[in-house]
Amino acid sequence: MAPRTVRPARRRTRRPIAKKRPVKLPRLASSPRSHRLRALPTVIAEVPMTAAMVDRLMWRAGFGPSEADRQALVGKTVGAGVDALMSTPQGPLQGTEPKNGANSLDIKARTGDLVLTWLDRMVRTPTPIVERLTLFWHGHWTSSRSEVQPTQLMQIQNDRLRKYADLAANPTADVGALANEMATDPAMLRYLTGESNVKGKANENYGREVMELFLLGVVGPDGQPNYSETDVKEIARAYSGWRINEANPDAIVSYFTPARWDAGQKSVLGQAGAFNQSDATAVVLQHPNHAGFMVRSLWDHFIPTAPQPDTLADLAKTYLDSGRQIKPVLRKILTHPQLFESIDEPNMIKSPTVYAVGVMRSLKVAITDERVNTFLNQMGQLPYYPPTVAGWEGGPAWLNTNTVLGRYTFAQELVGKMTDYADAPTETSQAAFDRAHAAVGGPWLSAGSRAALLDYATNRAPAKTVAQRKNRQVVLRTLMLAGPDSQVM
Amino acid sequence: MTDHAPQNGAPYGDAAARAAMRCADCAMSDSLAHDAVPVDRMPLTAEALAGFPDGVPPSTGVDRKRFLQTGIMGLASVYGASKIDWQQAFEAAVAEGAVANSMLVVIYLNGGNDGLNTFVPTGTAYADYIKARPNIGRVLGPSAGGKIGTIPMPGTSGELSFAAPLVPTAPLVGLDSLWGTGTGGVGSDLALFPAADYTPPNLSHFESRDFWFAGMLKKSPTGWLGRWLDAHGSDDNPLQAISLDSSISKQIRTLKKPVAAVGSLTGVNFQVPGVPTTDTRLNDEIARLAAVPSGSGNDQLARTRSVYDLTVKVSNSLSPLAGQTNAATGYPTSALSTKLKLAAQLLSAGLGTRIVTLDWGGFDTHGNQLASQDPQLAALGQALPAFSADLKARGIADRVTTLVFSEFGRRINESDSGGTDHGAGGPMMVMGPAIRGGIAGEFPGLAATDRGNLQVRTDFRAVYWQILTEWLGTDRPELILPGGPFTGFSRLDGATTLLK
Repeated sequence: MAPRTVRPARRRTRRPIAKKRPVKLPRLASSPRSHRLRALPTVIAEVPMTAAMVDRLMWRAGFGPSEADRQALVGKTVGAGVDALMSTPQGPLQGTEPKNGANSLDIKARTGDLVLTWLDRMVRTPTPIVERLTLFWHGHWTSSRSEVQPTQLMQIQNDRLRKYADLAANPTADVGALANEMATDPAMLRYLTGESNVKGKANENYGREVMELFLLGVVGPDGQPNYSETDVKEIARAYSGWRINEANPDAIVSYFTPARWDAGQKSVLGQAGAFNQSDATAVVLQHPNHAGFMVRSLWDHFIPTAPQPDTLADLAKTYLDSGRQIKPVLRKILTHPQLFESIDEPNMIKSPTVYAVGVMRSLKVAITDERVNTFLNQMGQLPYYPPTVAGWEGGPAWLNTNTVLGRYTFAQELVGKMTDYADAPTETSQAAFDRAHAAVGGPWLSAGSRAALLDYATNRAPAKTVAQRKNRQVVLRTLMLAGPDSQVM
Repeated sequence: MTDHAPQNGAPYGDAAARAAMRCADCAMSDSLAHDAVPVDRMPLTAEALAGFPDGVPPSTGVDRKRFLQTGIMGLASVYGASKIDWQQAFEAAVAEGAVANSMLVVIYLNGGNDGLNTFVPTGTAYADYIKARPNIGRVLGPSAGGKIGTIPMPGTSGELSFAAPLVPTAPLVGLDSLWGTGTGGVGSDLALFPAADYTPPNLSHFESRDFWFAGMLKKSPTGWLGRWLDAHGSDDNPLQAISLDSSISKQIRTLKKPVAAVGSLTGVNFQVPGVPTTDTRLNDEIARLAAVPSGSGNDQLARTRSVYDLTVKVSNSLSPLAGQTNAATGYPTSALSTKLKLAAQLLSAGLGTRIVTLDWGGFDTHGNQLASQDPQLAALGQALPAFSADLKARGIADRVTTLVFSEFGRRINESDSGGTDHGAGGPMMVMGPAIRGGIAGEFPGLAATDRGNLQVRTDFRAVYWQILTEWLGTDRPELILPGGPFTGFSRLDGATTLLK
């Protein structure tokens, strides 16, 4: 995919940014990374997984590994591991029920509970890949609670997106069906003002974004525009006529009003007809650059380095051959050697949600209040509140001096609340290190970081008193879970 | 967010909206003020977010740190003494570390402050005013019969008066002390634009606030001050513009130049609360972890470690400030005071800070307005003069200008629930010893209205324009505020400058 161009500011979309900008071209053949890449087998699906590979897979396709994951998957092939992840049915949530203070979660009573409800699901689900993929769709086909009321609409949209993430229940789920559902999703109709898209007064908001952000991209691989302003105007007419029925607040639905629909001839992307919503969506899906755009968007969510052109072409072919199904192409991405690139040194910054949920899963803590929302905001990713219709920029932009402190403080607070600080008077510094590492779920630490932490435990952490030994544990656990190494996966 | 917006020319607000104590957006707006359920973020460019994008300036390494500590140590002893010492101290500082000659503090009153109950139309417009507000209107003269009164504003010919909460009983100091004679001479340091906004007004909190922050009547990736920073700011000092909030204000969003958000000085360290060691900061340990080299080609891990390192550096710069308390007196107990105290510390600390922004308040008073607005007016009325005195004691008052605004004014007619709905045209205040005080924009009266709202007489961008050209300094204001110059700057004495 060619770099996305910056679009001019206009109407109500919030910010002209290029989504997923930090895509770098592959290194030249002589670069060390390419060397590592070459060292990987070209087909990795049949390779038995090491512990590092299991950790990598469980971070990229979930919120980090549990000890059970490691025991179950080490030695299994990548393909078998990915197949297991994608075919395991969603089960009941496990562990302690969430609370917001004294209350059970209720999204109608407290807006913050909308976020907590999803976070709780991410923390307690036995099938994290479903939530991880839902999070991708939420960032890709996004709506924001800040412009969508009532709150239930966001939950309805989330449940809708999840159908296209639960590939065990819906193994043939495809992007075409998703596109039709999202074009008439009530939250989307509100967020991108589709409900005011009426015959004679076309509202271009959704029509533009469906091409620019959801299905096509501004330009194709050759740098040429994928669509024109005329296409935007024409497709908007096809999307007219949809409204929201809020009569029953527990079952808000969209509905089509023929009188509000522009039934005239339209010309979209070189095709002509009296298109309605699904016709127009089908036209966009048939655009020759759709497949490349879609699979690249999916790739970027899981792998930080750009795919080779032949890889991208192969993924696009898989996607099209399957009728734009999600599961076959996702399997190829999750079993691609590049996912396991730099296996000894994680190379992708965790999004705030993945980081925070990962910490909570590692420490086995439950949602107790809204504090996590405050931290996620400071970290720059409060689910349901994307900053723009392009979702979150992500990548290197996740981290700045403020968001780093948010990440640190979030994890530090949870470490501070841990209760398993039994005193071990004769514990060596190495044993203290090992105990701390196990207590926080055994996160990845580079050799240099291990040396620095052991040096701290040995030379800068007095351990003569009970209090000092506890301090040593708290500090070690904090540095392991809240330090720089824990921010990558 | 369109609950209060006019639909197809229909009158503002329907009965349901008026009856509502609070629309969901308003509640969201309030929560934003308290950082409880925040929403409103925009990704910045990586460069603008990075802190020190190119590393700490080489000229400001250990020497700068030592200077900073000396300066802060000096603050404790010099506080309240002659400003000459400060002057000499900072003249010796590295240029970008010095206290700048012109600094701007922007206070955003969150939620849409009701201007008519802040500066009350007590002249020819009073009859219309009290008719529109039989329950929440101010009474002429001293508070009486459970009604809040007014206090005359010199220099307005009686047309406007302070709402009583703005002027507390002596020895407390209120807004009148900054107003002085209201004629722009010495001691008349507060310029008031009574009906500032833009036309046509947008009555959505989010839209309107974005316009005010952008300095444009549309959404923009950069703020009005961010564009000034991009043109005139430092390439490598994120503390040149600081939002005293958990996120960076849209006003200072830049394309290239670094800016910072500092929630408070207590949270700037990698702390381990409750650990009773001699040093509960892990800054040094974090720095060790950040210094571990990353494998070549691993850009994201390298960036992660470098941002941790930058955070340690910013933290170490700010930590000396955290150790001291601002002992200035006169501030009321208020979150606004906490932020202004911090602003005074930062501005006087030689961090190269030019701009400080802060959000405060819950001014979205759809119902029961007197109970929520008046305490906030009292806090504002006392905090601003206390801030002024604090800056004087630090010897930098002449170099600081403060701007106060809200995203819109409120409906002239009171609502059925004792409040006011979203309106247009609110008071904009600019203050500081350099500012020519008095009424600086027209007050339109209430005889003619804009669909039930105050007629807008000052384009808010006209005030920005003067601040940029006269105070912060720029030779190309039209690049920062497209479409300018703007109308609405108007003084009784015919002066055409914001400054004295």
